[in-house]
Amino acid sequence: VRQALPHAVLLAGAVALYVAASRIDVDTGGRIGPAVWPKTILVIMAILCAYEIVKRLLGGASERAKGLVEGLETPGEEGRAEHPRRLAGGVALVIAYVFGVQALGFFVATVLFLTLFPLVGGWRRPVLAASMAFAGSFALIVVFMRVAYISLPLGMGPFRELSIALIRLLGVT
Amino acid sequence: MDALAALGGGFVSVFAPMNLLAMVIGLVVGMLVAVLPGLTLVMGVVLALPFTYKMGVAPALVLLTAMYCAGTYGGAITSILFRIPGEPMDVPLLWDGYEMTRKGLAALALGWSLVAALFGGLISAIVMVMLTEPIASIALRFSSPEFFSVVCFGLASVVTLSGASMVNGLISLCLGLLVATVGVDSIYGAERFAFGLPFLQDGIEFLLVMVGAYGIGEVLSRMMAGDPPAAQGDRATRFLTAFPSWVEMLRMKATFIRGTIVGILVGIVPGAGATVSSFVAYGLENQYGKAALGKGAPEGIVAAKTAATASVGGAFVPLLAMGIPGSGATAIILAAFLLHGIQPGPQVFATRPDLINLVFAAVFVATVGKCILGYIAIKPLCKVLDAPEAVVSAFVVVFCFVGAFAQRNNVSDLYVIAAFGILGYLFERLRFPLAPLVLGTILGPIAENNFMTTMVSFNNDWTVFFTRPVSGVMLALAIAGLVWPLARSLRARYRERKDSERGYTPSP
Repeated sequence: VRQALPHAVLLAGAVALYVAASRIDVDTGGRIGPAVWPKTILVIMAILCAYEIVKRLLGGASERAKGLVEGLETPGEEGRAEHPRRLAGGVALVIAYVFGVQALGFFVATVLFLTLFPLVGGWRRPVLAASMAFAGSFALIVVFMRVAYISLPLGMGPFRELSIALIRLLGVT
Repeated sequence: MDALAALGGGFVSVFAPMNLLAMVIGLVVGMLVAVLPGLTLVMGVVLALPFTYKMGVAPALVLLTAMYCAGTYGGAITSILFRIPGEPMDVPLLWDGYEMTRKGLAALALGWSLVAALFGGLISAIVMVMLTEPIASIALRFSSPEFFSVVCFGLASVVTLSGASMVNGLISLCLGLLVATVGVDSIYGAERFAFGLPFLQDGIEFLLVMVGAYGIGEVLSRMMAGDPPAAQGDRATRFLTAFPSWVEMLRMKATFIRGTIVGILVGIVPGAGATVSSFVAYGLENQYGKAALGKGAPEGIVAAKTAATASVGGAFVPLLAMGIPGSGATAIILAAFLLHGIQPGPQVFATRPDLINLVFAAVFVATVGKCILGYIAIKPLCKVLDAPEAVVSAFVVVFCFVGAFAQRNNVSDLYVIAAFGILGYLFERLRFPLAPLVLGTILGPIAENNFMTTMVSFNNDWTVFFTRPVSGVMLALAIAGLVWPLARSLRARYRERKDSERGYTPSP
């Protein structure tokens, strides 16, 4: 049952989206409407998911019907120990960065992210990580704002003031 | 003659100061990206894209083309010397390249890979120049049913060649096509799957899907997998390259030709790219070549490397001729074209032939440039292997977010990219291939527009897709491509059952 779970979730999603697509209401004057294309895809997807669920429930997961090119994995990957805590930490940091960059601005959020991410990833040199994060964030600001002319989030409140002071220091107007 | 003169003009443009600078940067960065196991070629090109927003279209195309070309070579060095495949396409080089290193023939192995990269790259570039314009002039006569069928063929080939379960590949493709439908539809202006959220009303940019799934998704997968295996081989190895003699090369001409043909053909097929070419060519060499591969045979290096580099020229053909990217990297190059307001395809040959010739010339120059760089800069290139993977990953994430944000200065794009990053990780984990999802997002709008136009123009008669010759053939090929692996699998099961009924156990 667990093996069929991803396909069951996708099947439920396909059904829900089909219902949403059925509510697209446009006067097409007898021509084919904007809901036809997504509905067709959803029907195909639902059939595929249902097929895979039945197959997995009856015979367990099978990777038999593969594409033409099989076994493209790098050797040695399969035997490696997994690190779900690192992954959870990584996901949490990525999500925190998305929100942090809006509140703290690019520079502060990036310094924090570049310090913490390697530590969560198993690199046990916090002082070096922090130094590299600071230097790296500064270099990124220079590269993006002075060389590539990309505007970056400034943050809110005092962090906005800090970001503005920093970009003034760099001579970006 | 005119074509040669135009190509000459392309070379002159490539050597203009700004373009030349972009070429050198592209080659160096492309090599570094390929050497680092934590960064893939496609990720590297994705990360370079934001830097091209404010560039002119010419240096932007030169930069990305150079990165793409160089990215197909750099990983060969670390595979051969340290048993670290910088790119998935370099895995076949472990089997023979690293074996040669263990026998003390590292310099010769590097020489063979360099010659193979040069040969495959240059021949495919010549084929690209010869094929693209004729295909574009044929494509100019295509109508919407033909374009729809060509896209269907491309999407079917992505699923067929995705290397995972066919059903999962098709589901991944369906998801990609669905993502492309989010937002306001182009014909009726109807809102689809936006659920009242303003950022979904604008649609989901394929670039966000690509950056999230390939960039963040890959980083998360590597976090789960932990530290990579330690490099094998002596780091103090002298970084020298010894070239094979002309006689030795001539003796291997069949391998060179086979690898190059495979690379070009697989490259032309949308979605396949260098990795598939490399594996297919190695497999063919194993089957039809004279040498026993896997024990340090140079034929193994030549087959895989000619095919990987030859796929570059092949992948540019559908992009330039029809606006359909042949690989992940060419999908980013398509994005660079679009960001500068140019839609690649048959019309570009009339409106901006200078850009087409610039890309042609850039492929030639980058092919030679990567080989020169691969010859003179092996030692400094290998130095980047000392960078801790967790630090590299952290910078990759930041680059991904900046790239996503910079395109529209829209904070909500950051949510989208994070969501697709997590989805990309889940896809890898659950063995759903990523390529169909990404290609589905890119080609979905083209497929839908042509499907809708056909249905409107032909009074909802769907049989036109099968009754028009070109369209019918392309759809038949697409269906055959999907059905063949399934038939092969069913046949294998049938044989297995028959064998077990007869009490015969095949040897492992």
